[in-house]
Amino acid sequence: MSAIVKSKDNKPEPIAYSDAALRNNAAVVEYCRTSMAALSGSTAGVLGLTGLYGFAFYVFAVVILWLMFMIKAGSNWNKYYKSRQSLLTSGFFGALFTYVLFWTFIYGMVHVY
Amino acid sequence: MDSYDDLSHSEVNDLLRKWRENNERKSSDVVALWMNVLQAHSNKYGNEKYVLLEQIIYAMLDCHLYGLAKGLIYILSLEFPRSLRVMRYKAAALEAEEKYDEALNVLDGIINADETNAPARKRRVAVLKAQGLIHEAIKELVDYLKKFMSDAEAWQELCELYLQVQEYSRAAFCAEELLLHQPHNHLMHQRLADIRYTMGGIDNMELAKTYYCQSLKLNPDNVRALLGLFLVANNLVGHYKSSGSSKRKEAWKLSQWAQSRVTAKQREAKAKLGLTDMMLSLSLAE
Amino acid sequence: MTELLLDPNIRVWVFLPIVIITFLVGIVRHYISIILSSQKKIELLQVQDSQVMIRARLLRENGKYLPRQSFAMRRYWFNNEDTGYFKVQKRAAASQNPMTDPGMMTDMLKGNVTNVLPMIVIGGWINWMFSGFLTTKVPFPLTLRFKPMLQRGVELAYLDASWVSSASWYFLNVFGLRTIYTLVLGENNAADQSKVMQEQMSGAAMAMPPDPKAAFKAEWEALEITEHRWSLANVESDLLATDSSNSL
Repeated sequence: MSAIVKSKDNKPEPIAYSDAALRNNAAVVEYCRTSMAALSGSTAGVLGLTGLYGFAFYVFAVVILWLMFMIKAGSNWNKYYKSRQSLLTSGFFGALFTYVLFWTFIYGMVHVY
Repeated sequence: MDSYDDLSHSEVNDLLRKWRENNERKSSDVVALWMNVLQAHSNKYGNEKYVLLEQIIYAMLDCHLYGLAKGLIYILSLEFPRSLRVMRYKAAALEAEEKYDEALNVLDGIINADETNAPARKRRVAVLKAQGLIHEAIKELVDYLKKFMSDAEAWQELCELYLQVQEYSRAAFCAEELLLHQPHNHLMHQRLADIRYTMGGIDNMELAKTYYCQSLKLNPDNVRALLGLFLVANNLVGHYKSSGSSKRKEAWKLSQWAQSRVTAKQREAKAKLGLTDMMLSLSLAE
Repeated sequence: MTELLLDPNIRVWVFLPIVIITFLVGIVRHYISIILSSQKKIELLQVQDSQVMIRARLLRENGKYLPRQSFAMRRYWFNNEDTGYFKVQKRAAASQNPMTDPGMMTDMLKGNVTNVLPMIVIGGWINWMFSGFLTTKVPFPLTLRFKPMLQRGVELAYLDASWVSSASWYFLNVFGLRTIYTLVLGENNAADQSKVMQEQMSGAAMAMPPDPKAAFKAEWEALEITEHRWSLANVESDLLATDSSNSL
């Protein structure tokens, strides 16, 4: 596998990314995101949030997760991720469905029955 | 080896898996661990058992335990009858016992059954190489590469084979192919630079200088590249003595720079050998 | 809207079973697709072609690290009018028509069967079996347009659109459990239909699209227009420059 190389010169040189490391990091981020969606969905259900509050809670949870990633990566975040923006917004809708599912599920279990 | 006695069998399994994934081939340790610890518990590992058996078979072949290896191959063949992968192990066992013709027959059988089976073809080359028939091995490998052009491992092997028979220009071609696959790996550049330096001639020297510099840019700690650069630069200084132009100055600067870097590293490492002195004795006077 | 009280039996016998059914069906689908995906017999020529494409692509991308002559030599080998690989190799134009090509037909059939069919069948079964009552309330307000879609079998005009029937609960499950499958089954699981779409678009190295001629032509053109910029032209001066900036 190619190594991660960063060479900063007078002119900006292309940075070589290690393919395996990128994929691994993306998989881990995906895992965290799914777990976060499930847990926050359950929380929203238990709390009985409805409508816009529920969606706002989801956005809130996504931002919290992003902040936790940043804290974990520390100041040299670009050793681990290509861009911070994509970390925030990728997989948003996939996890949204999971969030809605768990939210509905727990809400149904707790409040309807 | 004594430290392994304390491990339970699942820890041993994990250790072997780690070695397997990192491609470490500690054959005598593997065999010892198998005999002492794992054999009794071999039924507990489920599907991982077969991958483990493959690892142990190779370890046994490395340690000349042919009978035991064949026993394990037999177990595998019972589980996966008519499997091409198991046939490969049979061929490897024959190869280890130096029954080369039979091994080649088995491998040919695999290739006839499945034309796209790359590992079987590569093993043929390995068998020829083991017999010392380097030229046949080269021919076989070139044939293989005509079909499987993007196999970096094969290009690397071909490069080494060419170096063995001292066909440097072809070896340089292979090294360039490798460079296409991994352009950010400093070792690739350094290898190509080594070959060009060995080939000699002013154009090759210039190319060697360029590649050594690129290798150092990618990894400033590559001492081999530093030494190579030093030698190339001196060679160029010697060559340009007559023209006395800017190229000479550049080569001289590079030579000095390489020397100073090596000295700095020496100081860090506190080595006893006077590498700097040796380099000084090699260098040409201004 | 007053809170409706639903029979707890619904919870035990409908709500939960639908979740479990969806989840288990997904897992079963994953394993079935593994079993059904037969060994595709790959022709040597196909492998050769795909490897050639990879090599040509690498040449285009990383050729700037090779000296001009090496790059030219390789490009010549690929593109030359009389002897170049992309020109000489004749391939029979494979038919794109799925009716006549049996291999593609079975692949398409398998793809459809394992993915779409279970969803329709089970959706219909659930609709038939668990109809006529409400299953749950979704926590967000929905407009009245959704009512006929989500409340099959329950004909109440006053009912809030948030109360849904079991069929819609089933579909919500199908979508929501997709990401969970990644957790449980690891990557490359066949239960996730969205990935199937992505796979169909990305070109795998093993199976070439059955029209190598078009691919060759595209690669030929790409190679023709590639310029060779010798990126190592200034590397010595760069090296000395970095060193002087480091050591100062």
